[in-house]
Amino acid sequence: MSAPPALPVREPAWSLSRSAIWLWVTQGVLGTLVYGVLVAVFVLAVPSSVGGPVPVLRWLLPALVAVYAVVAVGIRPWIRYRVHRWEVTAETVHALTGWLSRTWTLVPVARIQTVDVTRGVLQQLYGLASVAVLTASSQGTVRVPHLEVGVAERVAEDLARRAEQVRDEAT
Amino acid sequence: MTGGEATDLGQAAPEVSAPRRTSPLIVLVHTVTFRQARQVVPAAIPVVAAVGADGAGVVVALVVAVTALSLLFAALTWWRSTYLDTASSVVLTRGLLARSVRTVPNDRIRGVEVEAPALHRLFGLVRVRIDAAAGTMTGGDEEVVVDGVPRAEGDRLRTSVLTHRRAAVAPAGTDPSAPLPEGPAEEELARFDRRWLLYAPLVASYLAVPLAAVGALSRLLQELPRALRPDLDGPDLTDVRVLVVTAVVALLLLTLGAVAGAAVVNWGFRLVRRGGSLVAVRGLLTRRHTELEVDRVRGGTLAEGLGMRLVRAARVNALVTGLGAANRRGQLFPLGPRTEAVRLLGVLVDDPGPLAPHPPAARRRALVRAVGSGLLVTAAGTVLFLPTGFWGVLAAGVVLTVLGVPLGRGRYASLGHATGPRSFSVRSGLLVREQAVLQRRAVVGWQVRQTLFQRRAGLATVVACVGAGSGGYAAVDMAAADVAAFTEAASGRWATAPPADLPG
Repeated sequence: MSAPPALPVREPAWSLSRSAIWLWVTQGVLGTLVYGVLVAVFVLAVPSSVGGPVPVLRWLLPALVAVYAVVAVGIRPWIRYRVHRWEVTAETVHALTGWLSRTWTLVPVARIQTVDVTRGVLQQLYGLASVAVLTASSQGTVRVPHLEVGVAERVAEDLARRAEQVRDEAT
Repeated sequence: MTGGEATDLGQAAPEVSAPRRTSPLIVLVHTVTFRQARQVVPAAIPVVAAVGADGAGVVVALVVAVTALSLLFAALTWWRSTYLDTASSVVLTRGLLARSVRTVPNDRIRGVEVEAPALHRLFGLVRVRIDAAAGTMTGGDEEVVVDGVPRAEGDRLRTSVLTHRRAAVAPAGTDPSAPLPEGPAEEELARFDRRWLLYAPLVASYLAVPLAAVGALSRLLQELPRALRPDLDGPDLTDVRVLVVTAVVALLLLTLGAVAGAAVVNWGFRLVRRGGSLVAVRGLLTRRHTELEVDRVRGGTLAEGLGMRLVRAARVNALVTGLGAANRRGQLFPLGPRTEAVRLLGVLVDDPGPLAPHPPAARRRALVRAVGSGLLVTAAGTVLFLPTGFWGVLAAGVVLTVLGVPLGRGRYASLGHATGPRSFSVRSGLLVREQAVLQRRAVVGWQVRQTLFQRRAGLATVVACVGAGSGGYAAVDMAAADVAAFTEAASGRWATAPPADLPG
């Protein structure tokens, strides 16, 4: 994360809810548990006497799970939170997502077709919701994950109303 | 909306009030092609296997039974299906027991295609496909098919649907930036030249035609009963002369097959502008008649494969909003000289001028990516070679690495972007070089991507999101510093995300 060169697009102004970090940490813990159980079953069920690559795998796989745990629980949520930003201006909806690769998406309000608010199981636990702003193009979708439910609903309502007012040929 | 409304074709479109059936002749066509009975085939195979297909009597009985069944299905389907086109919508009713009624509002209809497969033509029938896509990418079966009406009725249906459609959509306003003015005159934009067939052997998709035929034939042979299969000796593969002759013959057959395939698909191709529509007609056995509305055209793509670039050939696809099966339907210029293709693309959308090349960092990245996989294989090969002395992987790695150099250079040479006053263009591609030229109004959003490596190299990939074609067209690896200027010039000031003045 050394000083990055000039950004191709302006960074959006607003960050996500801080609860997003804890949601990502939870996801990391769950992922680690799933991989951990799989690897534990492998280590217990396959003796090293089988030969081939098994003796190597018996220590390599647990090591990989440990690395994954450190990245997914200890590093990635915080980087993601720093990267993820969003903004709604008079003319556009604008979001930046990713952690190693970054993706900016920009959609003018006039071209919005539908605005979706979704709440996953984990999101409900943390009182969060995701907003997806859809256009006629499959690739032109602005996704803002993990906003507080109230904020998400207000944004969706505001965008839907404004899109209806200024809609030109929305294709 | 009573009868006799004038259309762009200068014909009257009389109102139809009662639901209509397709021509009864279609029952014969469907009986022969087993169109409805085909669904029964998976169930029939085990039955046949159980009974055993030996003895001429059984085979004849089987053929008669299947044909009778097919006739029954076809007749029932015909009897239970109707269609109706009204001023506001097209209504299709079908279903043997469970009835389904499908109503398509006229303002959702995006285009009408009339096609005449060979068998249909024998009976003077056509198949009318009505495109009613909601969104381009939602996929699904958004197509309405009226199969088997007489040619005159097919033309009437097309005219009527398009007339109603225009009436339904017209108040929404015709876009002033549409490049083609409306006019009743018919103007020919392109016409097939038989010499263009010579390009076919250099186009991958036409080369695939004879290969697919060979594949189907060999499968058929496999499924024939053992007794019916000719008992041939395998060729003597150790003889070099046999190998050479086989290779030459195969190459010849492949070439001929590709030319024949291209001829069957493209014979008599003709593209005309008629009123507000582009009409493309082509096909030797199945005549295809595709109509695209100029108002919905957002741009076009110019595609040149590796072989096509050698002989300066190209193909053109129109990018039309809400068009299902866009690859087949949008094809405006199937195959021909590049100059002709470029001229045609210029009719669809203004030429934005010459492409600006991407920075040297993009060339480095293209080379690294192209050579990288080869280097990996080489490294693995070396690891394998040192202890075991097996050199196969190592050699393959070296070859891949060496091949990667021209591949990477080609990939970089493909890159480019340009902006004009009313349009913009992006180009990329590894083997097939595709240039998309889009109108400014086509853009429904921008996506800018930067991987870790791109960020360090000061590059970014910019995708213009479009509600047509594949949904997005990318300027790969352009200088990150140029992104804002490009997106602003290609769409508008909003693309630079001017600072907020209104919190959500």
